[in-house]
Amino acid sequence: MTRYAWVATLEQAGSVPLGLRRAEESARRVPVLAWIAGWWLLGRAVIVVTAIVVHHFGPTGWIKHVAHAHALGPLQAWDGRWYRIVAGTGYLLVPGRQSDPAFFPLFPVLLRAGHALGLGYSTAGLVIANLGFLGALVAFHALTRDLFDDSMARRATAYLAVFPFGYTFSMIYPESIVLALIALSALSARRRRWGLAAVCAAAAALARPEGLFVALPLAVLAWQQRDALSPRARGVALGAVLAPAAAIGSFSLYLGNVLGDPLAWSQAQRAWGRAFEPLGVLRAMEGLGRAFAHDAWVTRDVAAVAVYLVLLAAAARAGVTWPWLLSGLAIVVLPLFSGSFDSVGRFGLLAPAAFWGLAALGRDPRANRVILGLSVPLLVAAMATLPLRFP
Amino acid sequence: MRVEPDEGGLTEQARRLLGPGWVTLGVAGALVAAVLGAGVLVQKAALPSPAPATLAAVRAATWLQRYRLVESTFSIGGGPVVHGQCLQDWFSAGGRRSRGAALQLDDGFVLLAVQPHTLVSRGGSAAERSLSPLVLMELGGCPRVLARRLDTLAQQHRGVTLAHGALSFALKATRVTLTLEPRTGRPLAVRVGTRDTRGVSRIRFATVTTQVRRLMSRSLPVYGS
Repeated sequence: MTRYAWVATLEQAGSVPLGLRRAEESARRVPVLAWIAGWWLLGRAVIVVTAIVVHHFGPTGWIKHVAHAHALGPLQAWDGRWYRIVAGTGYLLVPGRQSDPAFFPLFPVLLRAGHALGLGYSTAGLVIANLGFLGALVAFHALTRDLFDDSMARRATAYLAVFPFGYTFSMIYPESIVLALIALSALSARRRRWGLAAVCAAAAALARPEGLFVALPLAVLAWQQRDALSPRARGVALGAVLAPAAAIGSFSLYLGNVLGDPLAWSQAQRAWGRAFEPLGVLRAMEGLGRAFAHDAWVTRDVAAVAVYLVLLAAAARAGVTWPWLLSGLAIVVLPLFSGSFDSVGRFGLLAPAAFWGLAALGRDPRANRVILGLSVPLLVAAMATLPLRFP
Repeated sequence: MRVEPDEGGLTEQARRLLGPGWVTLGVAGALVAAVLGAGVLVQKAALPSPAPATLAAVRAATWLQRYRLVESTFSIGGGPVVHGQCLQDWFSAGGRRSRGAALQLDDGFVLLAVQPHTLVSRGGSAAERSLSPLVLMELGGCPRVLARRLDTLAQQHRGVTLAHGALSFALKATRVTLTLEPRTGRPLAVRVGTRDTRGVSRIRFATVTTQVRRLMSRSLPVYGS
């Protein structure tokens, strides 16, 4: 008996030998992977070239100390510094001051792993983020094809690769890894590999709090599959739904152990101006006038919220299911409850439904051309202005 | 009564106990526990913990940030013992209100330091007036001066050492040693050294009252909070 026979189902064990079937499938995948890699390369090339131009010609803005460190200095700026600090020295809560427990631990753990392999923290961060984004595109494409069809998957993946806020995927930020893990988690759950789904969902939440919201689609998938699963598999599925919350719990336990304060991350968030309260949205709206007067860059963040809401509405019209819409809405709207529009453009990158909405809008060939034609210059503009405002 | 096991080796009672719902819940619970445990283990194994000196610096700074008034008893270079009060508050200086610190000693010496450029002293002995204002403020336990430095050094993870329950660090041209209460990490005493001055002080945190502010306002050249 061959090794493959062990994993063959009755259906698969039909006329074509399983080994041959796999070989055919792999051969079919190669052009798709090459196509995805092409889009990844295009998007990243735009970012790298723009970063080099910014390095040489400015503006230097607020990132003077890293912008000129080396050609890719701008990609190490802003929160990248904090992730490097956590990786290098661990967590430390300094009450009343901006401090690092606001940054979740998976990405610094990966930076340390890269460092152990002989890379500097900055190099490790850039390599992990950019390769992670290639993985994210592959997983996102597979998930989208699984949920919709091939053309939708192609459009959504291409748009994601050159999305204007997507320059963050190339910085020392965990967004690319989190998107990959969210897509892999959902994909695994759809294929009833709930153990893997649990691991990916937990890892996503350990990298960014937005990872928590993958629990929504997972919960609905688990419910839909409940009759087809054994009691044990149902338990694994339920565990996968709860895994992101447990992962965040493990971060709290760790902080409690090391810093003596399990809520250190929430405390640190407060020093970054993020204190969640029921009327936070009203506070954010109310403060808009002041924010505009103080710093016109808030326009970009408000526009990001509007764009994501439109994309989620388009996704709803295109038939994207409610758990994905709700999780997208939570990712875009919940940060407003902290009283600020800051960084929503970046947070929204973790809402796959927004890109499905964009892909639905791009069904029309003219719209497709407009989306791609606008995305690349906007991506260049966003990258070029990176020194002036944090993502 | 003894219950016979069934074919699968489970008693009727155990089967009822381990019904499909319980198996589901048990597996889910085990998985959640595994994620919790593995998460903590990965973080503990992979991430460095801050040094005890860094943690002690943050705790001491937190104590110092919590209070705006510090009472002190100090002597410089083996000289007479002086009692002082250092108050962090808002002061009117140069036509605008700014944050600052006022140190008042019981011999009538008053020192006022307000951001950005106000540094005024009056009263006291010639020896006191000839001393560095920074040394006096450190010995007076002026909380923001010490806290800000401790926070900065803690965040840089360098420049602070902890030995025998005392934190040592440099602040401009001075070397400061804070003796900490072992259990709470609260600063109890300050030792300050420069190239030509040595001073020792015991400090005590106090609450700002209207009376304290009134007394301060009488003796200060500029005050208004």
